[in-house]
Amino acid sequence: MASWTHESATKRASMPEPQPMEATALNQFAPARPEALWRRLGRLPITLYLGGTLVSLFVLVTLVSFVWTPHPPNQMNLSTRLASPGTSGFLLGTDRAGRDVVTELMLGARNSLYVSVVSTIVAMVLGTAIGLAIAGSPRVIQGVSTRLVDAGLALPGILTALVLAAKLGAGNTTATLAIITWQVPVAARVTIGPARQILALDFVEAAYGYGRRKPYVLRRHVLPNIGPLLIVLGSVMFAAAILIEAALAFLGVGVQPPTSSWGRFLNETQSLLEAAPFLMFFPGLAIVLTALGFNLLGDGLRTVLDPQQARSGLS
Amino acid sequence: MSLVDVSGMFFHYPRARLGAGSEGWTLHDISLTIRPQSTLGIVGESGSGKSTLIRVMCGLLRHQRGTVRFDGDDILQLSREGLNELHRRNQIVFQNPRRSLDPRMTIARSLSEPVRALHDRTPDDTELIASLERVGLGQEVLPRFPHQLSGGQLQRVGIARSLSVNPTILYADEPVSALDVSVQAQVLNLLMDLRDELGLTLVMVSHDLGVVSRMCEDIVVMRDGRIVESGVTSAVLAQPESSYTGALLRAARAASLERAQEA
Amino acid sequence: MLELRDLRVQIGGHEIIHIDELDLEPGTRLGLVGESGSGKTMTAKAIAGLLPDEAKVSGSVRFEGRELVAMGDSEFSEIRGKQIGFVFQDPARSLNPMMRIGRQVSEAIRLHARLNRRACTTKVIELLEQVQLPDPESLLRRYPHQLSGGQQQRVMIAAAIAADPELLIADEPTTALDVTVQEEILRLLISLSEQRKMSVLFVSHDLGVIRFVCDRVAVIYGGSVIEAGRIEDVVANPMHRYTAALLAANPGMPRDDNFSAFIGQRLQTIEGTVPAVGNFPSGCRFRNRCEHAIDACTATPKPAIVENDHRHSCWNPVVEG
Repeated sequence: MASWTHESATKRASMPEPQPMEATALNQFAPARPEALWRRLGRLPITLYLGGTLVSLFVLVTLVSFVWTPHPPNQMNLSTRLASPGTSGFLLGTDRAGRDVVTELMLGARNSLYVSVVSTIVAMVLGTAIGLAIAGSPRVIQGVSTRLVDAGLALPGILTALVLAAKLGAGNTTATLAIITWQVPVAARVTIGPARQILALDFVEAAYGYGRRKPYVLRRHVLPNIGPLLIVLGSVMFAAAILIEAALAFLGVGVQPPTSSWGRFLNETQSLLEAAPFLMFFPGLAIVLTALGFNLLGDGLRTVLDPQQARSGLS
Repeated sequence: MSLVDVSGMFFHYPRARLGAGSEGWTLHDISLTIRPQSTLGIVGESGSGKSTLIRVMCGLLRHQRGTVRFDGDDILQLSREGLNELHRRNQIVFQNPRRSLDPRMTIARSLSEPVRALHDRTPDDTELIASLERVGLGQEVLPRFPHQLSGGQLQRVGIARSLSVNPTILYADEPVSALDVSVQAQVLNLLMDLRDELGLTLVMVSHDLGVVSRMCEDIVVMRDGRIVESGVTSAVLAQPESSYTGALLRAARAASLERAQEA
Repeated sequence: MLELRDLRVQIGGHEIIHIDELDLEPGTRLGLVGESGSGKTMTAKAIAGLLPDEAKVSGSVRFEGRELVAMGDSEFSEIRGKQIGFVFQDPARSLNPMMRIGRQVSEAIRLHARLNRRACTTKVIELLEQVQLPDPESLLRRYPHQLSGGQQQRVMIAAAIAADPELLIADEPTTALDVTVQEEILRLLISLSEQRKMSVLFVSHDLGVIRFVCDRVAVIYGGSVIEAGRIEDVVANPMHRYTAALLAANPGMPRDDNFSAFIGQRLQTIEGTVPAVGNFPSGCRFRNRCEHAIDACTATPKPAIVENDHRHSCWNPVVEG
């Protein structure tokens, strides 16, 4: 037959879309009555529970610390320095200055929470805004800005923090700023891809078709549809913030005494390895468990909010 | 006087690499007219440019060469207001109903978007219900989300949404390809009824000759970004001049139910 | 060579498939037609043993004398690929985008035959020729995205027939393709089936396509076969009301090329939509959408046989007019 039966190797392999209708119809296995709550809860991923528990514990401890701590904050008892865990009145022992470890941890938690909340929120808001703006810009600008974001990602975070500290001095503000600088490119980078995908969808085209402009589309169509993604991103960024804050404090760049900090506490235990080897476990464990908790939570949320659930935006 | 007048139009996508002659261009030398209240079918396979063509005619994509006139006005010369009017009068119904509605907006909200955007006001419930009624849906779908409706229902919502601003031309881009046969029939009938009731001009893009021959008085056959043949549907399909049209016909007949297949 | 008897599949407490009887003779092509939610893909998966874990299967699926229901996974994997080949709907999704064509097809070969590199390559080229792909040698090194949809589908078919299976299950293989390409692929399937005496189970929503390819057809609605028989018989004389409605709703092409009379003709629609799994009515599952439902339809339908092995299970079938 004539030449046109030999199909040209066009990139778009198919035009009429394959029909996923079968899957949708048959996936309606939901029974007429809503399923028993406990059964639904039983199917949730375990990471969600583990993470949720750890995070709740963290928040709880922080909140309680405002109302009660086993010992008055920062109370030094030089007579009971470096007590082992289990010594009367000191569940986990005392540090070099005789301060109760449990109290120290609780106060340190406050700091971690404060810094991570502030920095994560700011970083997410800024990062998402930048990501959306980039996704919505013309190709040329997108190319350049994405590279800029990548450059931001490549900047070593600790180095930036040290530079900031040199300029502004050590403290929570510096730590917060450092974390924000570190995390904004992350949030932006993560947002760009999915935002672009959504911008390519039909309902966005339809919106342009009835006169909507780009800013509206980004705000009202793209943002809600990357919601689940942002929730997951937030939890992971939270975990990172905890770790970074601890690291900065460890390096002496974070908050200074008398404010308690896990990172600084950890630093102090370094020199006490011989005298009180057990001491370093406590702040270390606190940092690890909290960061782990947020990571697990994020992982669990991602599983739950996955494309399997038709409800989430990006299915 | 024609409603849409396209003359010598060429279009390429923004980042296309233009080569010698016609390389890189998606649409080549397109010329066609659409009379008011007519029905036009645009037929072609993938890569033919048919979907791109209607988006250019709607003003969603800007062509680089040639003219496209809507109701006498060159669409490239329109002011901001003129463009809004162009959008209002040219609406598109998309192929995949599940992708053409924002999954995070209720049906009520999605339905009211065009009026909000183009007329700067929020339609009240009565208006929305009337909209739904016109496409055979009840008001119970208003608070629901797209994932709770079937493909056929969603497609009707899409049509209702397009009609909410009283367009002059309704472009349907493969409106039934993603639907089951029985639902296809419902939606096609609906389009035919609406066209009669509202005096719409209907432009239907499809790869399915059967659907086009049933719905459209005029036909344009496209291939590789060019118009290969055009004219009155019954004439073109009964006596195709282009061998490509002939091939499309043959393939459509082979997979149809009407005649026994040729040995 | 394939016999289904009283096959039932349950998922989540609902019986989604119930097939009393379905046969496929060697070397013939059977079409399984239905809309979404009809159960046609699930049936194909049930035959292939590819149902989700939570599915409970009972009844009998005999393939070449062997019982497939409740067959162990490892045994079944042997059969799959070697004796049963698969072609799915969207080739772009079934082909690994990161693997060259040559390698993907040879993997299919190697799974079921011990061949050295050279013999394998020869076989791959042979297969690509058999599916009428031009210049097979150069195709070996290409990636899927460099091929058109029709070419990709041909590659899929080559991989599916690599081990020379007795049965080919094709699930909507041409739905995502252009109509001219579709015709070629369908012709290819027919010729492969005839040359190799390979049976084909062709699952589709498109009766026209099935008519082109298959000798026999089984119409599925609500998980059961409501009508079956030779394709010409079923299309010319549909007995079950659903079959008749399906035929009437098909936009099709005008009879005798009478295009002028065709235009503006309304299509006959089927009221309502396919119910979700738990919501089918008792008795005949189609009765709540059927214009011709009578009281008797509330009872579970029994198969009736018209001549020529044309079966249906309608209480109020179409009467010759």
